[in-house]
Amino acid sequence: MRHTFRQAFSSGKFVTGFVILMGLLLLVILYPLIFRAPPLQIIAQGTFFPPGIYVSAYDSINAPTTYTLNLDGAAAKRVAAKLKDEDRVAMKEWLVVAGVPEDQIDISDAQKLLTLWAENYDPAKQVKGMTLARQRYFQRVNNAIQGLLSTEGAIIAVRQPESGALQEAGAVKQTDYVNISEVPNVRILPLGTDNFGRDVFAQLVRAIGVSLLIGIVAGLIATGIGLVLGLLAGYVGGAVDDVINFITNIFLVIPSLVLLILISFSVGQESRGAFTVAVVIGVTSWVWTTRAVRAQVISLRNRDHVNLSKLSGHSLFRIIRGDILPYIMSYVFMALILQISAAILAEANLSILGLGPRTTDVPTLGLMMQWAMIYQAHILGKWWAYFPVLISITLITFSMNLMITGLDQVFNPQLRN
Amino acid sequence: MGKVMLEVNDLTTKYITRYNEDVYAVDHVSLQVEEGKTLGIAGESGCGKSTLALSLMGYYFPPLYYTGGEIIIDGRSISGMKPDDVRRTILGTEIAYIPQAAMNALNPTRRVINFIEDVILAHDPTENKKFIYELARASFETLGLPPEVLQKYPVELSGGMKQRTVIAVSVILRPKVLIADEPSSALDVTSQKMVIKMLKNLMETGFIKSMIFITHELPLLYNVTDDIMVMYAGQIVERASAREAVFDPLHPYSKGLMGSIIVPESGLRDVKLTAIPGAPPNLKNPPAGCRFAERCKYVRAECRYTNVALYDAGPGRAYRCILSEKVLRDCYEHERAIAA
Amino acid sequence: MKGYRRYFLNKAGWFVITLIAAFLLNFFLPRMMPGDPVAAIVARQAQGMSNSTGVQAIYEQYTKLFGTDKPLFQQFFIYMGNVLRGDFGYSFSQYPRTVAEVLSASLWWTVVLQFPAIIFGWVVGNSLGAIAAYRKGGLDKVAMPISILISNLPAFGMAVILLVVFAATLKWLPASGGYAFDMIPSLSVNFLGSALLHYILPFASIVLLAIGGQAIGMRSMAIYELNADYVRYSRFMGIKDNQISRYVFRNAMLPQITGLALAIGTMIGGALVAEIIFSYPGLGTVLLTAISGRDYPLISAVTLIITIMALIANFAIEILYGFIDPRIKAAQSD
Ligand SMILES: Nc1ncnc2c1ncn2[C@@H]1O[C@H](COP(=O)(O)OP(=O)(O)OP(=O)(O)O)[C@@H](O)[C@H]1O
Ligand SMILES: [Mg+2]
Repeated sequence: MRHTFRQAFSSGKFVTGFVILMGLLLLVILYPLIFRAPPLQIIAQGTFFPPGIYVSAYDSINAPTTYTLNLDGAAAKRVAAKLKDEDRVAMKEWLVVAGVPEDQIDISDAQKLLTLWAENYDPAKQVKGMTLARQRYFQRVNNAIQGLLSTEGAIIAVRQPESGALQEAGAVKQTDYVNISEVPNVRILPLGTDNFGRDVFAQLVRAIGVSLLIGIVAGLIATGIGLVLGLLAGYVGGAVDDVINFITNIFLVIPSLVLLILISFSVGQESRGAFTVAVVIGVTSWVWTTRAVRAQVISLRNRDHVNLSKLSGHSLFRIIRGDILPYIMSYVFMALILQISAAILAEANLSILGLGPRTTDVPTLGLMMQWAMIYQAHILGKWWAYFPVLISITLITFSMNLMITGLDQVFNPQLRN
Repeated sequence: MGKVMLEVNDLTTKYITRYNEDVYAVDHVSLQVEEGKTLGIAGESGCGKSTLALSLMGYYFPPLYYTGGEIIIDGRSISGMKPDDVRRTILGTEIAYIPQAAMNALNPTRRVINFIEDVILAHDPTENKKFIYELARASFETLGLPPEVLQKYPVELSGGMKQRTVIAVSVILRPKVLIADEPSSALDVTSQKMVIKMLKNLMETGFIKSMIFITHELPLLYNVTDDIMVMYAGQIVERASAREAVFDPLHPYSKGLMGSIIVPESGLRDVKLTAIPGAPPNLKNPPAGCRFAERCKYVRAECRYTNVALYDAGPGRAYRCILSEKVLRDCYEHERAIAA
Repeated sequence: MKGYRRYFLNKAGWFVITLIAAFLLNFFLPRMMPGDPVAAIVARQAQGMSNSTGVQAIYEQYTKLFGTDKPLFQQFFIYMGNVLRGDFGYSFSQYPRTVAEVLSASLWWTVVLQFPAIIFGWVVGNSLGAIAAYRKGGLDKVAMPISILISNLPAFGMAVILLVVFAATLKWLPASGGYAFDMIPSLSVNFLGSALLHYILPFASIVLLAIGGQAIGMRSMAIYELNADYVRYSRFMGIKDNQISRYVFRNAMLPQITGLALAIGTMIGGALVAEIIFSYPGLGTVLLTAISGRDYPLISAVTLIITIMALIANFAIEILYGFIDPRIKAAQSD
């Protein structure tokens, strides 16, 4: 056994896959220890907030100290942030229609452009051939750039409870800064929020963990069934073999997705927890392992050491444990890894079909994908809602495949080249 | 002395492994095989016998590379010829090969006759199929193989039949030299006998003119060959007539290999080459000096740094040891006395 | 020809057996689960679905058609008979359309999308794999990691990526559907053009997936064959390299064909999910709506049809294989 492990770790591919997987596991274990917020809590009002650091605006204004920093280009940045390139082009378009000679408009000079705009723009003006939507757009642009060039700060006012009048309570200058570490409420959302307003990253970490668990449970079940049936068919042979082989041949060609769908649907929404899904996946995917184990056992069955054991009257159990299992263990281990990664994919496929785990207290990679698809994150360009999920699934299956390839090369040297 | 069919001078080849290491499995080997003769090659597993067989073909592909030496077949040097010329004019027609694992030597999805067609057409694209069929049938008949075999796929043939088919295919173009690499080692006793009989007949029936025979089985070696070369770690350590090599070896390694045989003719049945304690050196970086020094009973200090040449010891006889013939014989005599 | 007969009969026998097994599973599996779907129909009726006359009609028709008041095994034969006549009853979610109506439209979309894509991907993947095995250099070093990565992408992943890149971002191709939404299926040039445009992305995603998996398999098969003893022997008999390449390609391809026969079910499953991402009007999308509408008759019919498609594809490949691999005939004739 120790030798087997050492051999496995001599393969670069195996080690790479193993390291990736361990990295993911470490993340899954450590992250919740550091950030204790429940991963499925709805924190955002609205859908698909982009990734970033969220600083409480209220707390920023009320920060204990404000610092004055005179930074070059601060004003220019402010303008650039509000005035996108496409807006500038649109503004130019409007100005040309309004009669400003085209060669006088330089969209790279924000200052000039804004002055021209202020001089010429008239929200009430009807431009011929312009749709209402387009007109609205210009009105929006106009609102957005109001006061963009002013050098004044902003005034903070409080409403008098009795009279309702506003009274100045403070001012924020353009050169005022707060130190983020002095702002009490800052939330980092490395992957933004999803359609329900939940922290995608926290959810993803949890989903990786749950999906891995589903994979492991399903993989263990499938490998267990496959191992037992394969051993029986291969070693006992005869009628037992015929029956098992018959069944395997049937299930080999019936798509396992179909079985998955039928069983998952029949199990019913209410009882379809993550564990049930794992079990369903497990009991529908033992076919390959059975076949492979059977083939291996048949090739072992008549080896000298097995015959010797038989002659010495050892029990079936003892022969299988002592003379057969050790020879197929490395293979079974590979099959297990393969089953785990296949089960994670199966869960994802099922979830996309709407047959995934029906629980609101754990996310899985498949469920996250399903939500993102239903809310059209991919079409709306909200990449953070689905792309990290895809990457995670791919990383898991990729690392597991690497491990299998590595093991395969160690144990079947023929493929080595 | 008969006409020399195969002459090899200082042939050296190496494997380049996946990790870019060089394995020198054939190191400055020279040999000669005369018309009508069979040269045996003996040595323990991994000493480079198969590699020598491959190297003798003069046609190299990765991971085996040619690094030096010359191969002359029937007076014509093939080293320096273009690979495609070697393929067309030498392989199969001048020199042919029976692989160690002849069981899988035939393409499983091709009928024997189709494979023979491919072989012959590869040398002469103008040949017509009918003629090829007749030729193949005649050859198979002469060699005692049923012609139905021609229409079969390799899976349909038994192990022994497959092996004999491979032999028949190998000699179909009447090569001058045949190299047989353990042609019978994977077979049961009956098939083994048939294969050996067939090989021995090849020269009489004119299919080949000379043969190199590699084997692990001592009785076969003695019965089939005229001369024997003993290899150790990629080098020739002894060359002698079959009789001398088996019953009167000079080199300590040969002596160890033939160890158990003392009286000529008596106990040769079922005797295998003896195992010698210790392991051969790693061919990735062979030790300086005598390569056998590590395992030699008679090792001297200078063995470990002197590069030992092959010493002549009479006609057709040579050995690679710094000890003189007389000293070696004395040693062996002494040992025998003690044992008795 | 005689040598093949046994092979064909054997395969045909298995086809029939698996078909029967598929029917059995399709019928009994859901009925053996705790949430019996037929009972669910009754429950729904009691709850009073929005379209209560519809439910009533479905329920009565279902009882009659599938004899739900009869013993289970009798029900099975009634069901078999109905299915063989193409009668799957009404669809719950799309009443008053029948399941057969819903399916007859979508089946062809799936068939026309998936089979060409899988075959094309198989051919290209195998060619690439063989080439990679031969030319160990650049191509192998670049193409293989890419193939490995692709083959590790889940089926829907490839679809999503293609959709995001070519439809949502570059806007070169339509993102969803099988044809422009303002069209009615017909054989006009306009419609066919639109259908073709919508065909490209789903097709590409299935092809790419097939290529990834096949190329890797073929490459290791070909490398294995290249190291086979017969290759060395053939070389030493003076056979030309390209002839040997043909040996190797052929011998490496044969297991790939059997591999395809066994993988076809999984491939169809993956392709169905890809269809869903593109809202392609095929069986995948029907399945999705059926599941979300808890439309049991529709789910049952779709899964049965998918299984039958996989069985037919498998059978066809096995038959083809019988002709291609000479050993089949040899093995059967004695
Ligand atoms: N393809 C290869 N690449 C690298 N090294 C090789 C290769 N084939 C053989 N060798 C090495 O070359 C040496 C000689 O091998 P070879 O097969 O010629 O031995 P052999 O004497 O024929 O052994 P056996 O009696 O077992 O057939 C061995 O050390 C082996 O490890
Ligand atoms: Mg050898």
